[in-house]
Amino acid sequence: MGKNGYQKQAMGIYRFISEHLYFNRPDMVIKGECFNSAILLSLLTGLKKGKELIIGEPGLGKTTSAEYVCSLIYQFPLGVIWGSEVSGHPEQTEEKIIGRPDLGKLNRGEEDVVWTNFSQIPVKIVDEINRLPETKQSMILDGVDRGNWEYLNEMIINEEYCLFATANYQDGGTNTIIAPLVDRFDVMVESRHPGANLSFLVGKDKRKDHILRHPKYEKDLYHVLKSKVAYEKKTPKIEEVCNAYGEYLDEATGIKSFQKQDRDQIRTEMERLEFDLDASAFTRMLLAELSFCEWYGQKRIVENCEEGCHYTGYLCRQIKNCASNRLPSSIKQYAQGLAWLLEDAEIDIEHISAVVPYALGHRIQWKDEVLSQKERSKRDDPIPIFLAKEAVKAVSQRYREQSEHLKDALAAGSKIFLGGDLEPLEGDHPIYVEVKKDIGARRS
Amino acid sequence: MKSSTPPHKSSILPPNNENRIAKNPFEEFKTFTASGPDLPLDQIVQSTEAVMDRIRCGYEKLLEEEAKELVWMVQYNTIIKAYEVAEKYVKEISYTAEDIEDFCFALENTQRIPYLIPGPAGIYLSALCNYTNEEEIVLKLSELKTEINLVGFRLPKGKRLMIEGDTGDFTGIGLEGGELVIDGNSKNWTGAGMRGGKILIKKNIGLHTGEWMMGGEIYVGGRVRGLGNIVEGKVYEREKLLYPGKVRYPNVYY
Repeated sequence: MGKNGYQKQAMGIYRFISEHLYFNRPDMVIKGECFNSAILLSLLTGLKKGKELIIGEPGLGKTTSAEYVCSLIYQFPLGVIWGSEVSGHPEQTEEKIIGRPDLGKLNRGEEDVVWTNFSQIPVKIVDEINRLPETKQSMILDGVDRGNWEYLNEMIINEEYCLFATANYQDGGTNTIIAPLVDRFDVMVESRHPGANLSFLVGKDKRKDHILRHPKYEKDLYHVLKSKVAYEKKTPKIEEVCNAYGEYLDEATGIKSFQKQDRDQIRTEMERLEFDLDASAFTRMLLAELSFCEWYGQKRIVENCEEGCHYTGYLCRQIKNCASNRLPSSIKQYAQGLAWLLEDAEIDIEHISAVVPYALGHRIQWKDEVLSQKERSKRDDPIPIFLAKEAVKAVSQRYREQSEHLKDALAAGSKIFLGGDLEPLEGDHPIYVEVKKDIGARRS
Repeated sequence: MKSSTPPHKSSILPPNNENRIAKNPFEEFKTFTASGPDLPLDQIVQSTEAVMDRIRCGYEKLLEEEAKELVWMVQYNTIIKAYEVAEKYVKEISYTAEDIEDFCFALENTQRIPYLIPGPAGIYLSALCNYTNEEEIVLKLSELKTEINLVGFRLPKGKRLMIEGDTGDFTGIGLEGGELVIDGNSKNWTGAGMRGGKILIKKNIGLHTGEWMMGGEIYVGGRVRGLGNIVEGKVYEREKLLYPGKVRYPNVYY
């Protein structure tokens, strides 16, 4: 771990953005190290091929933070990234987002697709996604989820891609993001105001983002992207130009960016990291609270908790919807990324606790009584992230109280599952009921 | 000749039944062994047991050395020698007054202590009481079927030993300034050879009380069956001074 220096390289990128490009304050502490959540999670999104929703007030660097991270991780000049962004507005069309017919060929009676830069490059930024009408949000659903972009019965598949979408808080021009699309985002983070003093310095010094511009390579990349060759044949050429731009970055800034094979190697290293037992038991406990309903079998948004339920003190009582299967996947992806970045040998409970609020914030729908009770609480975070952090704290407390018993229960579950003749352990938490259900299913 | 074996059908599923067996959702906990909650009570019990083992070990060694004499005779030399052996083992153990009480209970109620000989047991108990850091020691001997001899041997100044129950012969002999309280009866030769201190017997006392005592006081709440040859010191019977005073001859029943 860490012998190839990729972690240092990644931390170099983090520091460069933090110190020169994106004014920020650290807002999270992991294992004694302070980080800014927006940069850290964007970095992990880029490295892990994730999907990030960045929220915040207008002009606080939601889009630019994503652009910088993408430029440095994927070696794309800023100009190309700008030219590939999709901006959300009501008049947006599939032709502008995914591809359009080749009009020249169409005149000759042939059908061919001219793919947009957005659909072709691995860096996908959708600016102000909540200005897209809800009906048009579903246009990008499949591409966002699987990397498949379809137009006129043709399809291109992005083997490597990450998605950044920005969203303003609700105003007159915004729409709600449809639930299936929201759930596809691995994390949601707020791009926050850096504070009066740092904000005062914005624009005072010479901007350094011009370093990330390179007109020649931008022109070369546009040329490749526009060329009428098959997408598969374009990618090696794109990589070639990107690598040349990476060398330029190294010379100009001293920052070593990642080539395609570096990113692949990093992902392989990340994939090798497994949960330790505490991280696994804690995550199971959290998922149990977010999906369990004693009365109706599981959480469903259309069903409300019954009065007098035994599990009143748990999260299942406070939320409306059920955690999707994308949640554990997102938690694992980002916890792996974080553990890798911190050069840890395993994913532990600290990695999980750090990423969960950001993986959970946009996915939970809290009951009205919880919202009305807590929305005026003194806090630093927007309400969804604040409530998710509070939820993680509460589950952490419960886990601390019964970690050994829970691990015993899971170990007993394993023995029973393998045919052992013992009884499942009892406990006052939904997870023990879930263990029993799994064992019951196995026995039956 | 063509083989009659049907052609092998290729399949993406494993050929055996593996695909039918559901994945163990608790797989990673397969090897987890519970360490058990580290309760403070467990630690206390553990450390108490360790101390008790060492106390019992000392007693066994004392018995081994004293077992050379097939019958344990209470003679001056025997007592001194046995006490020296007991002292040697007791000095190496770190224990509290509560551990002494536990040892008393274990003397009759456990299989781990080989046998109870009232003499050596009393010598060993006395050594334990004399070398503990606490100044006040309470021993419940009332539940023992055997009366322990030689309790309170050489009890030094500054120590107070309270016995709940009866004691055997030679209680408080050679007392060196300590205070010995017996909440019960005591047998013969109580306070023999004591040099100082106080012995309080709530009930009755046997013969030869205060034999060759050189100082100190013996208070008896009940009756004194007989005094010994007292050199110096005082003996009271129901708050009445018995010695010095009207001489009661040894082994005389009153």
